[in-house]
Amino acid sequence: MNGKVSLYWIDWRMKGRSMAVSSLTRFVFYTLLGFAFLLLLLSGGARRFLASRYSVTALLRASVSQGEAEGLARKVAAMPPVSSAVFRDPEAAWKEFLEAYPGLESIRTTGGNPLPGYIEVRFRYDHLTAGDVNLVVSALRNVPSVDKVLSGEDSFPGILRSAAFADALSWCVFGAFFAAFLLVCWHQERARAIAMEKDFAFLAERGVSPARMAASRAAGAWFAGLFLSAAGIAGAGAALFFLLQRFHVLGSFIGPPEDLLLPATAVTASVFPLCAALLAASTSLLGWRAARSGRK
Amino acid sequence: MRIEAFRLGVVCRGETLWDGLDFSFESGAVSVVVGPPSSGKSLLLGILRGERKPDAGDVLVSGESLYRGSGAAARAFRASCGYVPERQEEEDRLVVGDLFRRSALACGGISGRERKDREVSLLEMVGLPGGAKWSLPSLSVSERSRAYLAAELLRGPKVLFADGVVAAAGAPHREKLAGLFRALAREGNTIVLAERLIPERWAAAAEEAIPSGPFRVFRLPVPRQGSGAAPAVSPRAEDRGVDGGSA
Repeated sequence: MNGKVSLYWIDWRMKGRSMAVSSLTRFVFYTLLGFAFLLLLLSGGARRFLASRYSVTALLRASVSQGEAEGLARKVAAMPPVSSAVFRDPEAAWKEFLEAYPGLESIRTTGGNPLPGYIEVRFRYDHLTAGDVNLVVSALRNVPSVDKVLSGEDSFPGILRSAAFADALSWCVFGAFFAAFLLVCWHQERARAIAMEKDFAFLAERGVSPARMAASRAAGAWFAGLFLSAAGIAGAGAALFFLLQRFHVLGSFIGPPEDLLLPATAVTASVFPLCAALLAASTSLLGWRAARSGRK
Repeated sequence: MRIEAFRLGVVCRGETLWDGLDFSFESGAVSVVVGPPSSGKSLLLGILRGERKPDAGDVLVSGESLYRGSGAAARAFRASCGYVPERQEEEDRLVVGDLFRRSALACGGISGRERKDREVSLLEMVGLPGGAKWSLPSLSVSERSRAYLAAELLRGPKVLFADGVVAAAGAPHREKLAGLFRALAREGNTIVLAERLIPERWAAAAEEAIPSGPFRVFRLPVPRQGSGAAPAVSPRAEDRGVDGGSA
């Protein structure tokens, strides 16, 4: 800036107090929006929760040795859509059964452990689609050592549809919140442009073209929007990280706190301040235009 | 910067207000356009500044047409002008310092510190020392017009148009303003004042008035550099190292 006064900051120079109030309001909104954005980004709507609850069970034949079963589990775990594939031997299966249905120990006394060993397959939340589930299920069914594959084929498509609906609904609510925020911004910009009408007239009389004034103000709004929204989403990210570390139960809905630090998350999150800055510049221009057309 | 107007004509409310008027305002001169009320003095200043196209004739600035040339040239001329209107709009929430802040924005190249320094010295020059924080509604007509004048001088305009400033400033400040205008002219600026009446002392000192339609144009004598008549006023003059003195 070289210590010079720029038209970028004309609003700050002439309406400093109003700008401070609106910037503070916007920072709060950006933080809330950033929090919601990160929440939706990490949770994938309801998919993260669904992925933590849904699993495909491959029941193994009694003749399969432990080594063979563990090898198969490793191969399944290496498939792209799979987040984990864990082998449970018949004894572990029996213990789980008794925990779920206590008092049925008598079943075993008649003819040994009636439960087979099995592989429990869980999916990555971003691969929890009918296509990916079918891919894994088909692969397991073609393995001779697998007796049965339990994937909830009847109810799963319905659950996925509900998850997709919940996902879309979440983004719609976020979009509505964002649109309301933009409306507030537009009103602020319009009100300020009207309040500064005499300043603009003064500058126009002294050879500053209206187009330059509008463009400079929009550029200033772009910078301010970028800075405030970047600060907002950074604050929101820090708050979310703290919450996920402190309340582990949230992890099954939102994901582990480490996911916030992934490069992919950072890159996607950087879209937020860029969009916010663009929209801040647009509302500045629209507010200017509305103020001028209202005056005529 | 020489401003020439040829065969100017204006139609106002369906009637010809004046027609065929010629003017010439030299750089380094203080010109006072004197005319009766409703004769179109403010209108004339608006035409000379490039704000209002005349219904006839043209205005040339340094030989280039203000209205038939490029818009960019007209804007550049307006950017080099200072203008103090006869009636300042009510801007209740502003303080005197805000006028300087706004004036600084118009040229987009004055740092905060420089603005503050010049604000202090210019307010002293117009007889409003320490007035930066005074609110505009609390000022008298005289103080307000002088505050607006000081704010315009912040940018160091090459051409200054002042409408009714001498009358608004009142008798106690006339000679101070005369010294200021002469100092500006001595730095090579063009000063054009529009007044209903010219103070007697100014008229006595001026060259013979040139009549033009309802107006008479007086040219005040400007002491040459080195005669110790006036301080350096504009930042450009200070940059050039123009010698100052006492008013």
